[in-house]
Amino acid sequence: MSATVTDNAPAQDPKPKAGPAAESLGSRLLRALLTQRIVLLSVLIVVVVVVFFIMDSGGYLTAPYDTDYMSSSLINAVPLVMLGLAELLVILSGRGGIDLSVGAIVSLAGMVFGFAYGQWGWPLWFAIILTAAFGGLCGALNGFLVAYIGFPALIATLATYYAFKSLAIVINSQRPISTPPIQELFSITRSVELPVIGGQLPNVPLGIFTFLIPTVVVVWLLLARTTYGRRLYATGTNDVAAKWSGLPVRDTRFKAYVYAGVISGLVAVVTVGQFASARPDAGVSGSGMALPAITIAVLGGVAITGGIGRVAGVVLATLLIVWLNAGILLAFIGNEGSQYQLLALGSVLIFAALLNGITNRRYGGSR
Amino acid sequence: MSLGVNDRPDPGLPASEPPPAPLKARGRVLPSPISGQELVLIAVIAVLWVILAFATPAFFTAGSIQPLLVSTAPIALVGIGMTIIIITGGIDVSVGAAIMVCSVITAKLLVDQGLSLPLAVLVSVIVGALLGAVNGLLIAYGRVHAIIITFGTANVFLFLGLQIFGSNTVNGIPQTFDFFGRGVAGRTLGIPHAFLITIIIAGIAWWYLRHTAGGRHFYAIGGDAHAARLAGVRVQRRILLAYVITGLLVGLGSCFVIAQGTSTLDQSVGTGKELAVIAAVVIGGTSIMGGRGSVLGTLLGALLVQTVTSGVTQLGWNSQLSDLFVGIFIIIAVGADLIRERARRAT
Repeated sequence: MSATVTDNAPAQDPKPKAGPAAESLGSRLLRALLTQRIVLLSVLIVVVVVVFFIMDSGGYLTAPYDTDYMSSSLINAVPLVMLGLAELLVILSGRGGIDLSVGAIVSLAGMVFGFAYGQWGWPLWFAIILTAAFGGLCGALNGFLVAYIGFPALIATLATYYAFKSLAIVINSQRPISTPPIQELFSITRSVELPVIGGQLPNVPLGIFTFLIPTVVVVWLLLARTTYGRRLYATGTNDVAAKWSGLPVRDTRFKAYVYAGVISGLVAVVTVGQFASARPDAGVSGSGMALPAITIAVLGGVAITGGIGRVAGVVLATLLIVWLNAGILLAFIGNEGSQYQLLALGSVLIFAALLNGITNRRYGGSR
Repeated sequence: MSLGVNDRPDPGLPASEPPPAPLKARGRVLPSPISGQELVLIAVIAVLWVILAFATPAFFTAGSIQPLLVSTAPIALVGIGMTIIIITGGIDVSVGAAIMVCSVITAKLLVDQGLSLPLAVLVSVIVGALLGAVNGLLIAYGRVHAIIITFGTANVFLFLGLQIFGSNTVNGIPQTFDFFGRGVAGRTLGIPHAFLITIIIAGIAWWYLRHTAGGRHFYAIGGDAHAARLAGVRVQRRILLAYVITGLLVGLGSCFVIAQGTSTLDQSVGTGKELAVIAAVVIGGTSIMGGRGSVLGTLLGALLVQTVTSGVTQLGWNSQLSDLFVGIFIIIAVGADLIRERARRAT
């Protein structure tokens, strides 16, 4: 917490006021590596990819780890990035903001999508809008409890996690919905060749263009280019100061949860497509979807105390985890791989968190 | 703290500062032995039991109450540790994975080595304490928020557990743990041993937290860690202790979990237990912000959650509905607490 005088430069100012000449190139690099999460993540991604390329050429992997494989593994990044961004919005809103219920919303909204598209035969676009709106409604319940009633976010979303999870299973008596229209949705997970330059590049999963990139762009615009984004950062940094500056603190916080719900609703559509079936436990089976999403957000440099975090960090953190996981899957035989993925996720998260602690002490806060 | 409708945030006066003590609290330093929330919980549990007794005559028999108490035991036991952690302002979401590691190691040793009961409990407790110490060291000395570290260690513990399982279930677990189980061997005078042990440990923890300087230090840390440090509390050691205590209880709780199961242990052991434990703690009135809470409330919270779960099953409803009620109870319990807190600050 003991920030030195030179560290009091504004956050957005790239060059420190005093003493840059005195710093050697090495210590400047170290500083950039430690204080700028995006630099660190980029370096880690390069390290991971290079290591697996070397292992691949040495014949240690069960299948080739090449650009085609990396590209096709990106399909796993779609739900991760989107839910990571949902957590980004919620955690940014501050006062212990966190959303444990995103996985349960994915399950419940997925069932709603299954009913609308698979059983009632609604047109696809309308079913997607309904699902997103329903996710928003679930998020609104979280937001109402947290922002207006004053529940700690951890408790409110723990309670709604239980409620949504239970409803998703009960709503169709524990049965998944996998009617023909739902099964045909599996085609959204196929890979396509990029136009014009596609011949030289590996094919890319379609979900990247239909869901991932639009969500990333919209969230980035929301955070970086709108008044709402500025308000969200202000609220998360210091909600008392924001309140006294005349900002609608509660409304801002409420909307963060609603947006997280909408994104979870969209993830529900993606998940139904991937499974080719609306499964009542899609978002909560195993350790669920919320924990990886929070992990991604924290790894991406989002401060759990609120007010700090960027879209680029979340995206890079996801790429790191997805390509790391994809490599691990090839390095081990059978389900050993999925177990080592847990180890990798956990160690990377602890490493990143400890690094944050060191950075805070050494440079007075990571940016 | 919450900025409610009725709060008038005054920048000169921090919201967390309590109003001057009213006269009726004269001479009393400790809060009353039983809080309003706990009285309400007792009433709610009593009402639920009466309703269940009318709805299904089989509910109020020993054959139904005893299993209820036995299955409450592990959640309540781990909840005691979680209460201490949450009082210090932390949280531990890795207990589910830790239960898995403890129970798979213990179960394997029971099968392979045929350990005696005390030795098996000892092994389980030591493993639990080690896992808790890993959490505690990282959180206290790495100065990282507890939820992040325990998310990370949860994944690592899960990996450890699955590795020890080695993609097989553990089969043919001997009857060593029947002492803690549902059967006749697990009861004295009709009271299940698992529940009795939980009550005794809860009593010790209640006394420790309420009447010893060491126990009050946990509350001081949760109230304001910086102020506690200035007042001479060894904050980091206390935090480490909180996680080690939880680890010890996780170890013992894992023995109860093995005892309740069949002779086969599969990979799903412990899954979701962390959220069930946290739910029991917050229903019991422990503030997730730290600095306030009691073991008695946690015990009642665990009993309420288990009553709802077994009640839904006995009424013949879809067993998955019980989660919905748990969610609703969390909202009601914490909401009532928020309203009381707001009223207290308004006066």
